[in-house]
Amino acid sequence: MSPPLLTLLLFSLLLTSPTSTSAWKKEEFRDCNQTPFCKRARTRTPHSIPSLSVSSLFLSDGAISARLLPSQPLESPSDAPSPTPRALILRLSVYTPGALRLEIDEDYSDPTAPSHRRFRVPDVLLPDIDDRHKLYLPRVSSDSAGVTSFYLPYGFEAVVHHDPFQIQVRRASNKEPILSFNSHGLFDFEQLRTNKSDGEEWEERFRSHTDTRPRGPQSISFDVSFHGADFVYGIPEHASTSLALRPTRGPGIDFSEPYRLFNLDVFEFLHDSPFGLYGSIPFMLSHGTKSSSGFFWLNAAEMQIDVLAPGWDDPANPSPNRIDTLWMAEAGVVDAFFFVGPETKDVVGQYLSLTGTPIMPQHFAVGYHQCRWNYRDEEDVDTVDAGFDSHDIPYDVLWLDIEHTDGKRYFTWDKTLFPDPVGMQKKLAAKGRHMVTIVDPHMKRDDSYWLHKEATEKGYYVKDSSGRDFDGWCWPGSSSYPDMLNPEIREWWSEKFSFENYKGSTPSLFTWNDMNEPSVFNGPELTMPRDAVHYGDVEHRELHNAYGYYFHMASSEGLVKRGERKDRPFVLSRAFFAGTQRYGAIWTGDNSADWDHLKVSVPMILTLGLTGMTFSGADVGGFFGNPEPELLVRWYQLGAFYPFFRGHAHLDTKRREPWLFGERNTALIREAVHVRYSLLPYFYTLFREASTSGLPIMRPLWLEFPQDKETFNNGEAFMVGPALLAQGVYQAGEKSVSVYLPGTESWYYLRNGAAYKGGVSHKMEVFEDSIPSFQKAGTIIPRKDRFRRSSTQMVNDPYTLVIALNSSNSAEGELYLDDGKSFEYEEGAFMHRRFVFSDNKLVSTNKARINVGKKKFSSECVIERVIILGLSANAKKAVIEPGNIEVDIELGPLSLRPGSSPVALTIRKPNVHVADDWTIRIL
Amino acid sequence: METNLRFSLLISLLCLIAIPSLASIPSRDSLGISPQDVSYYKAGVIKCKDGSKKFNRDQLNDEFCDCPDGTDEPGTSACPEGKFYCQNLGHTPLVIFSSRVNDGICDCCDGSDEYDGKVNCSNTCWEAGKVARDKLKKKIATYQEGVVIRNKEIEKAKLAIAKDEEELSKLKNEEISLRDLVAKLKEQKERIEKAEKEEKLKKELEEKRLKEEAEKQAAKEKESIEASLQVEPKDAKEKAPEDSTEGGENGKKAEVEDEDASHDEHEVLSSESSAEKFAKMTGNQNEEINSKHAEKEISNDDSGHAEEEIDNHKSAQKPEQVSDHSSASDAADVHSEEQQHESASTVGLSKEELGRLVASRWTGEKSAEKDENSKDESLKESADDAAEPAKVEENYESYISDMDDDRYKYKEEESENEYNGDSDEEYADDHADTAESYKSDEEYKNDYSEEISTTGGLSWIDKIQQTVQRVFQSFNFFKTPVDLSESSRVKKEYDDLSSKLSKIQSRIHHLKEKLKRDFGKDKEFYSFHDQCFENKQNKYVYKVCPFKKATQNEGHSSSQLGQWDKFEESYRVMAFSNGDRCWNGPDRSMKVRLRCGLKNELTDVDEPSRCEYVAILSTPAMCVEDKLKELKQKLADMSSSQPASHDEL
Repeated sequence: MSPPLLTLLLFSLLLTSPTSTSAWKKEEFRDCNQTPFCKRARTRTPHSIPSLSVSSLFLSDGAISARLLPSQPLESPSDAPSPTPRALILRLSVYTPGALRLEIDEDYSDPTAPSHRRFRVPDVLLPDIDDRHKLYLPRVSSDSAGVTSFYLPYGFEAVVHHDPFQIQVRRASNKEPILSFNSHGLFDFEQLRTNKSDGEEWEERFRSHTDTRPRGPQSISFDVSFHGADFVYGIPEHASTSLALRPTRGPGIDFSEPYRLFNLDVFEFLHDSPFGLYGSIPFMLSHGTKSSSGFFWLNAAEMQIDVLAPGWDDPANPSPNRIDTLWMAEAGVVDAFFFVGPETKDVVGQYLSLTGTPIMPQHFAVGYHQCRWNYRDEEDVDTVDAGFDSHDIPYDVLWLDIEHTDGKRYFTWDKTLFPDPVGMQKKLAAKGRHMVTIVDPHMKRDDSYWLHKEATEKGYYVKDSSGRDFDGWCWPGSSSYPDMLNPEIREWWSEKFSFENYKGSTPSLFTWNDMNEPSVFNGPELTMPRDAVHYGDVEHRELHNAYGYYFHMASSEGLVKRGERKDRPFVLSRAFFAGTQRYGAIWTGDNSADWDHLKVSVPMILTLGLTGMTFSGADVGGFFGNPEPELLVRWYQLGAFYPFFRGHAHLDTKRREPWLFGERNTALIREAVHVRYSLLPYFYTLFREASTSGLPIMRPLWLEFPQDKETFNNGEAFMVGPALLAQGVYQAGEKSVSVYLPGTESWYYLRNGAAYKGGVSHKMEVFEDSIPSFQKAGTIIPRKDRFRRSSTQMVNDPYTLVIALNSSNSAEGELYLDDGKSFEYEEGAFMHRRFVFSDNKLVSTNKARINVGKKKFSSECVIERVIILGLSANAKKAVIEPGNIEVDIELGPLSLRPGSSPVALTIRKPNVHVADDWTIRIL
Repeated sequence: METNLRFSLLISLLCLIAIPSLASIPSRDSLGISPQDVSYYKAGVIKCKDGSKKFNRDQLNDEFCDCPDGTDEPGTSACPEGKFYCQNLGHTPLVIFSSRVNDGICDCCDGSDEYDGKVNCSNTCWEAGKVARDKLKKKIATYQEGVVIRNKEIEKAKLAIAKDEEELSKLKNEEISLRDLVAKLKEQKERIEKAEKEEKLKKELEEKRLKEEAEKQAAKEKESIEASLQVEPKDAKEKAPEDSTEGGENGKKAEVEDEDASHDEHEVLSSESSAEKFAKMTGNQNEEINSKHAEKEISNDDSGHAEEEIDNHKSAQKPEQVSDHSSASDAADVHSEEQQHESASTVGLSKEELGRLVASRWTGEKSAEKDENSKDESLKESADDAAEPAKVEENYESYISDMDDDRYKYKEEESENEYNGDSDEEYADDHADTAESYKSDEEYKNDYSEEISTTGGLSWIDKIQQTVQRVFQSFNFFKTPVDLSESSRVKKEYDDLSSKLSKIQSRIHHLKEKLKRDFGKDKEFYSFHDQCFENKQNKYVYKVCPFKKATQNEGHSSSQLGQWDKFEESYRVMAFSNGDRCWNGPDRSMKVRLRCGLKNELTDVDEPSRCEYVAILSTPAMCVEDKLKELKQKLADMSSSQPASHDEL
């Protein structure tokens, strides 16, 4: 081979390499070994560090205070000698319903303590939890020396062992432990110092980045044990095919990283990895047949969590009914909550009583969203909108990604591509449709950009370690980031959403917050340096995981404000933290168009739901790459059950609007979207339930069947509310899937109304037109079977009730409705009906508490059809009371699709009003 | 429900009274039913159209869906599959999805789809109809004119095709005769060569003998030896007649450039100590050369960043070593090779470069193009700076031409009749690759007619035959020594004729290919064969050459959007596929939608999806008579459905 030829070949290899390299850039992210606090904590063995003991414990203001001091010094050769330790302040308080709060911080009254205080994450816990939920502890008991115990709600108690320090939550009756803290003696708290010890290096280097760490090491780690647990769940966000958290260490576990909580913009993330993604919720739940409990550590610094396999501490004596975990954070304080359950639904409720229940979305947001990076111009928007109409596929929201702006300056429009944004939005609004534009936190450093000018002048940007406005690289190039930790800056930011400030916006325009991890292309691990400085001299390392949360909060507040606090906001965010549920929806970020990513979307969304993020979804179709039509169709069929249902695609992908894959696939996608739209009344009712109780919309099977062990790690099937079960199809050309139907009651296959036995796995034939879905016997689902352009036109359409009878021929369900957009429901302007079928009659009653508020809501809607599954009688007629009106019963189809056959008894045109009380008796 | 429906109908009735402009609302029995279907719904018991079941007449439009296909609810929104017919008097009747009935949005211009009284739709059919009719009239006018042009074009095409066919058959005959002549000449030539060879051998033996004698006579007869030696170079040349001088020159040129390049590289190398170090590190010569290339580029970039960039490129070349090197100071352990490779690509970049690089993962092409641009620039600079131009591109070119030559040689060795049969394909391939390969018909003709123009009464082939005959006659094979002038005449004649033959064959090939083309049902696209259509959009010029290719040109750079593939959708779309590769996307492709227009005009070029282009071409070829009739009928229908007072025809 001649030299020029070789050169040419290699040269071309070099040029084409971007397409051939594996996408996830592992080396750009720190692993535990490259993270000193993690490496150190992880290599410790139980009880190998000096233990602490509790002293001067006393009750004050209904809570316990104490000091933590080193016990008898223990010779520890492994750990570096630390300077003379100061006492730590311990605080324990009790909250209803069923939470124990543990706080451990420095003793700032100590004269040797540094003046700087450790960061406590503000504005995540509801402001009034102390007033509303804190229990006043009247007394504590010290039954034996060195042990203090006190009452917890629901028949639990907390026990503090003084030396070595340990906390246990247990059942008061039989003293069975539920949760314990520091039972393995791994609690370590690196106290703040002002001086380095000899030869100590505080700086940390990673790749080309140097973290100055001016305050030195300040990490915290400890062990938490979940007793009586079969599995632990939660701590999103990770991509995993397993719903339960797999152990990361211990006998029989291959080397694994711990679960990392560090909000990162990960390019083409792996579908199965413990590495951190876009958001963090440091909340873990345990579940077993014996008990369910939860643990939440309110800390926004980088966190690493090991789930330890039984026998990790003592391979000879593995304890099968306990799951130990190791929690490590780079900074912050211990502000942790133990939730006692006893049911998982209680655990979720206990967590949300502190961090807030999910926001009630506007009704349109529950419909289908059509997004792409990018719909290029107004004509493109018109064409796509018209495409939905001409193919009779409903959709509610059209999205515009970053290219709609003038050079990635948010709150602006590209004047050439979008000369008339108001006209464009009005055109959509005339069809009851909405629009969403993207607003990211990176502000283009361009003096002619008004927002940048204002932020610079007011000093509203995050500062770098040398005190200058932090300058990082993102979409617009050189960018700065508003300091969202500061309430004043959040206030300023929220004003930008007013119609006057956001030129070209209308009331039908909503918001999308992307890149708010924050994503910084040239920063360490593609994010902001840890030594950047925020409001109140807080280092970025201390609040990193909450930056996107504060940004989301300010944007959401902006939308509330612009509508004079009348309309509910809609803001989708990529980054999230504990509490994000109060401000809007999130999605699982930049996934890929492959079957694996379709599959992991379910455990990911289920995990989010368990940790309060009930309004979430994955990009339908997959963001990167081009899905083959079959995958796209399967994704629509699955996505129709996501709480947040949006199709999205990368700039480089082929167009994939639903009608671009031939007539058959268009029909299949239309059918999938129709399934969602017909279920909108049910979904909206579930959203209401989520916003009051925090129960997820999409639920793991075990949440509904907590005693059915078969379900505990099922991440392929899921419940939508209490009544629907869906099983995804996760492989190309799949002919059949095995579906486990939990419980003892039967299930009705929604494709043909056939009944299937519960408690058994069924091999189901797979059809191209739907994924297997079932209605649980004993439930009633409200539907609307008329299809419109968007959910807006469905307001007056009549309902269908689908009743699935259980073995005692009864069923129940409910329906919530309100005006779908305002906050008036908070003042009583809503309707909440309860339907009960028993003794051959269906009764509708009011479920709402009377006198919730002064406002009223009314609806003229009627029920046009009642379908009853499992009714054996040869009923021909039904009588409606009041009025004694007789209506026909006939055999009808389960859904009005072409070729559907009559399978279930159907009450024809009862035409009763949903607003009224009535009874329909089967004759 | 009965009551409800009555109520809504009552409201409709009220609306009717309130808004006189509203067209009369049909009764429930006829709501949403098209005139063709009226009789279908006459019966007392009606079948669902899909045959699934029957329904009573009182279930027609009773707001409850009985037929899954929507047969029983043409006038309501009760069936998801239903269709609603609006009469739209004054305009065109319209069939809409039942999902539009009473949804609060006016879809029919007569407002008949909104009868529940929640919205008032004014009847806009007259105005809208007038606009539509005017538009339709214009369209008809265009079609009328277009049909005439199209028919003319078709006539022209038929003539031209006949002419092509005639030419082809003539050329085929000529090819046969000419091939025969060339074969004869070749035989002759070989015989001459053989004779010459023998003669030379003899001569050499003679000389050898003489030489031996001469040796004895030593220096005295030196001159005679020199004289005999003079013959040799000529012989050598004749030994390799196939070796084209051009090819030889090219090879030489490439060599020279290689030297230049390596010289240039060497200079860079010695001026950059880090680069040198790296070169030593690699050990492997191939990689060394490669890295030199990369470094050369970089060295011409912003000198301030030069070091860093070299680091970067080094790492791209040789990941393990670089990451070892760069992470040596890093306390952290490095685990996998993959990791090292990746890390290499970003270490050592400036903040801005790193930002751009990472952004480019999402945006791909933009930054890739940018990189290429900057590469071009740096190369240009290097050309200016260096005393001798030694561009990578030139190496590349010489490499290509080397390859071409090789291929030719190979071909000639393989088959004597290199332009026959299978080689057609290769011919096409060769040409498809080069940018300026699409010669028009005229050019093709000129190519061969220059030399073979007909003179006098005789056809040129007859003349040639005569000439060859003369050559044969005048040459005497048995005469030795070979008459040099005669033999060169034979050779020249052979060269000329085989060149003529190849030109004819090339023309034949061209004509065959052309006549194989799909020019449409009526050959209406014949004239497209040698035409290209252009459209300028901002900085880009789009060029569509039917049956050939489509390109996007920006200044001097051009990217191919696709090679001709086929007509699609019964000649309504021209598809070009397999264009230049797209970063992270599909190969470029283009679809050109054809529309009736009075002249050929390319408009509306667009890229709705990355690297997938669409355009519209107006052309009289699309102005079909049947369509014209259809349009006229449509206009007649529209006009006839108007109220008499508004009749405008």
